[in-house]
Amino acid sequence: MKRLVRLIDRLRFALFRHRGDTEMAEEFESHIRMQTDENIRAGMTPDAARRNAAIRFGAAESVKDKYRDQRGLPLLETIRRDCRFALRLLRKDLTFTVAAVTILAIGIGVNVAVFRVTNAVLFNGFRFVDNERLVYIANGYGCCVSWPDFEDWRSEAKSFEGMAVVQGQGGVSVVDKSGFAERYDAMRVSSDVFKLAGQKPILGRDFLPSDELTGAAPVTILRYSLWEQRFAKDPTIIGQTLSINGTSTTIIGVMPQGFSFPQNQDFWVPLVPTAEVRQRDRRNLWCVVGRLAEGVQIQTARAEMESIGRRLAQTYPATNRNQLPIVQTFSEFFVGANAAVIYGAMWGAVGIVLLIVCANLSNLVLARALGRSREIAVRIALGAGRWRVSRQLLIESMLVSVIGGVLGWWIAELGVRIYQVSDRSWRVLDYTIDYRTLIYLLAVSLATGMLFGIVPALRAAKLDVNITLKDGGRGLTSARAKRVSSLLVTTEVALAVVLLAGAGVMVRSLAKLYTADRGFNSADLLTMNLALPPNKYSAGRDYLSYFDRLQMGLQAVPGVEAAAIANSLPGLGVPRLEYELAGSPAVADKQRDTVLAYTIGPSYFHTLAAPIVAGREFSDSDRAAGLPVIIVNQRFVDKFWPGDSALDKHLRLFKGNQSGPWLTVIGVASNIAQNALTNEPDPLVYLPYSQNPLPTAWLFVRSRVPPETLTPLLRQAIHKLEPELSIGTTATMPQWFRTRFQEKNTIASMFLIFAAIALLLASIGLYAVVSHSVTQRSNEIGIRIAIGASNRDIRALVLQQALVPLAVGVTVGVMFSFVVNPLLKSELVHVSPTDPLTLMGVSVILILSATLGCWIPVRRAMRVDPVVALRHE
Amino acid sequence: MKSTSEVWQGTLAMMVLKTLNVLGPQHGYGIAKRIEQTSGDLLSINQGTLYPVLLKLEQEGSLTSKWGISENNRRARFYSITKAGQKALAAEEREWERTNLIIARFCALRGEEQ
Repeated sequence: MKRLVRLIDRLRFALFRHRGDTEMAEEFESHIRMQTDENIRAGMTPDAARRNAAIRFGAAESVKDKYRDQRGLPLLETIRRDCRFALRLLRKDLTFTVAAVTILAIGIGVNVAVFRVTNAVLFNGFRFVDNERLVYIANGYGCCVSWPDFEDWRSEAKSFEGMAVVQGQGGVSVVDKSGFAERYDAMRVSSDVFKLAGQKPILGRDFLPSDELTGAAPVTILRYSLWEQRFAKDPTIIGQTLSINGTSTTIIGVMPQGFSFPQNQDFWVPLVPTAEVRQRDRRNLWCVVGRLAEGVQIQTARAEMESIGRRLAQTYPATNRNQLPIVQTFSEFFVGANAAVIYGAMWGAVGIVLLIVCANLSNLVLARALGRSREIAVRIALGAGRWRVSRQLLIESMLVSVIGGVLGWWIAELGVRIYQVSDRSWRVLDYTIDYRTLIYLLAVSLATGMLFGIVPALRAAKLDVNITLKDGGRGLTSARAKRVSSLLVTTEVALAVVLLAGAGVMVRSLAKLYTADRGFNSADLLTMNLALPPNKYSAGRDYLSYFDRLQMGLQAVPGVEAAAIANSLPGLGVPRLEYELAGSPAVADKQRDTVLAYTIGPSYFHTLAAPIVAGREFSDSDRAAGLPVIIVNQRFVDKFWPGDSALDKHLRLFKGNQSGPWLTVIGVASNIAQNALTNEPDPLVYLPYSQNPLPTAWLFVRSRVPPETLTPLLRQAIHKLEPELSIGTTATMPQWFRTRFQEKNTIASMFLIFAAIALLLASIGLYAVVSHSVTQRSNEIGIRIAIGASNRDIRALVLQQALVPLAVGVTVGVMFSFVVNPLLKSELVHVSPTDPLTLMGVSVILILSATLGCWIPVRRAMRVDPVVALRHE
Repeated sequence: MKSTSEVWQGTLAMMVLKTLNVLGPQHGYGIAKRIEQTSGDLLSINQGTLYPVLLKLEQEGSLTSKWGISENNRRARFYSITKAGQKALAAEEREWERTNLIIARFCALRGEEQ
């Protein structure tokens, strides 16, 4: 404690030494005056009295020095002096400083950028929301809750302060008083969702429990950005009405700027539990947001929810068997189990970049210390302690590193912005800078400076003064120093190979994703999401008649080769239905196996250009009143009727407990990527749209012209038949794939950028070492040329310097890749983590790039003029 | 092994504390005078060396100081001993007594041998 007080006191003086000095001077002066006064009283003349007083006080300057030492921190004082000296040196050697600071800024910048992204994705979560207390509960990893389950959870669970259920609703048509219709994303929520999140509307009121009663007046709360963009921040917005999907709805509130929860929606409406929603087996609500009660750990909540789930399964075996609620944190629910792998790998990548930066700078600083070895030797000879000399060098390194860190901050800012733009996902995350980021930046900067400064500093401490001074300034060019620098470059090369190999397999996996055979021709295929206005169309035959007329109308549009409708896009799932094959033993309700059942219109496979393996596809003759029919895919046949013809076999599907009619298989479709774009398709079945009509559909159009040019014509044709039909997402199939692969794309690009930086740095590192050795050995080279060495000999001599680090580095790097790459396995599709082609490719790229880097010093060596080189001595 | 200057500083520190404990708040000059009076000429040449010691004691919390007006109407910094200082002084005095005793015994031992 005493020591701490003294330290604080000393620090205070060290920082504000000015005030301390004047006070000290005043105190000393007062002392001398008092002595003088007394001397005068004792009878001395004023002059003599003053002189005597000064003598008795002692050597004032030495006392002052001692006083200052006692007062401030001597260490801090010397460090300050070292810093000033270092700054002077850095300013003198501007080339080195700029190079070092640039490299450092990149290395530290990408690190901090990844830290901020990871911090946002894994820890910070939503902006303005108490993320630590919120958990997300569903009957699956990512979705699915039914209303009665939610009510039971809410009334029974004790671990929570409250629970709210949420359900997204995309592409809602909104018409304001101007009459202009637009589509927005809505979120249907329980009335207390904002209270749980910890936010209040900035305008108007929050939802009340009375808003979610059946028959309550429809109300909505707007997101700030919608209020800003659509309503120009109209302060009188509260009380105005909007037509949302044809229902007149009153605006009751506006949420604060930046608030969006629990995804990227434009407005919120109360979730009214209609009779349809109240079915226990209708698990189509998105998830339940729970706020943990004060002091309750997530493990406790998990255990409690599990026991509630078990109880519900006993009470309602038909609907709740195997339906335990899963309690997840923000990152588990929204980012997924793979998050740790992806962001861990990203962190590993930037860590490697930073290590390469360190090795690179270590070499640079070593070379610089080499050039200064004479100066250092003189300082040691004049009595500077070796520790003092090392410290001086280390401080120089740290100083460069801190400057690099400051610049790196801006690079990180840029990086985060780029990431934010490319990550167009539905998450609205908090990327704001917090104290953690600042601490991280400081720690990384200092640690980096320490890491790359330590080797040169230690070498300088071991400098042999005698040899250095005798040798004319080459004391550090010992074989040992050269070995150190070779080792550093080897490390750089190895690390770069590891990073390149990682990025390589990621990019290859992505390329495979784009080019994978999906079983249909995606080029020139356009899709649109259509929704019939509910006030005009209410029965199956209305839907059918519209889509029939639409298909006819579209055939007439020039450029349209074929058109079809379906209830899902490739890559999207559909509800699973229980099924029963004719002739198989009967199974109790709710215990049957399930199958994905897609609904498609006539000429779906024709439009997608996917072959029919056997039988035929649905046609206009499959009418509602006709024979109930079904198409199965090849996987389904392989699984249930291997080696047999599937045609005219029978099966039936169940909706709820209702058994459908027996369906006759009329066709076998080839396997196309239907429920997932990355895996092999599952066994699945197709139902005819005519026998299962729906008011919404995805339209598929195969185009003879570039698909983008067709869009306006299609819109015209669609609206000619029904002006009020709302058209949602419109995209070509490749565009749709790109959206689906967005996240993988972003991550692969980031790895590629990091790998490129690593490659560049490793090449520069090799260049620097070879170049330095050419400078050091220009005498020797000159002599060799003078006695007849050919260009080839010289080239071999110089390249030899690079050969060993390169060969060893690449070998070690490839070996490490075999260990490191399998960590990426879960992120890779259709490619082995240790894909030999990729490993070979990256080795070749690195060797080429490094050789290119060595070419400059090689040419310089060949141009050494023996006369000049020898005179130089 | 402490260096001589450290031993000297330690001795001086004890003298300062003792002085302040007996006389109450004093300025540097007053302390110097008092030590001169009690110790003979120990401080007569180097009164200034007192100040780093005062500062150290203050940093340790044994002393506090504030500016005031001396009896001769001069602005001066007055030092006074704190509770912690008195404790430290007591400990220091015990230590010195012990040391003195041991030294005295050794001296006596030598006398016997001769």
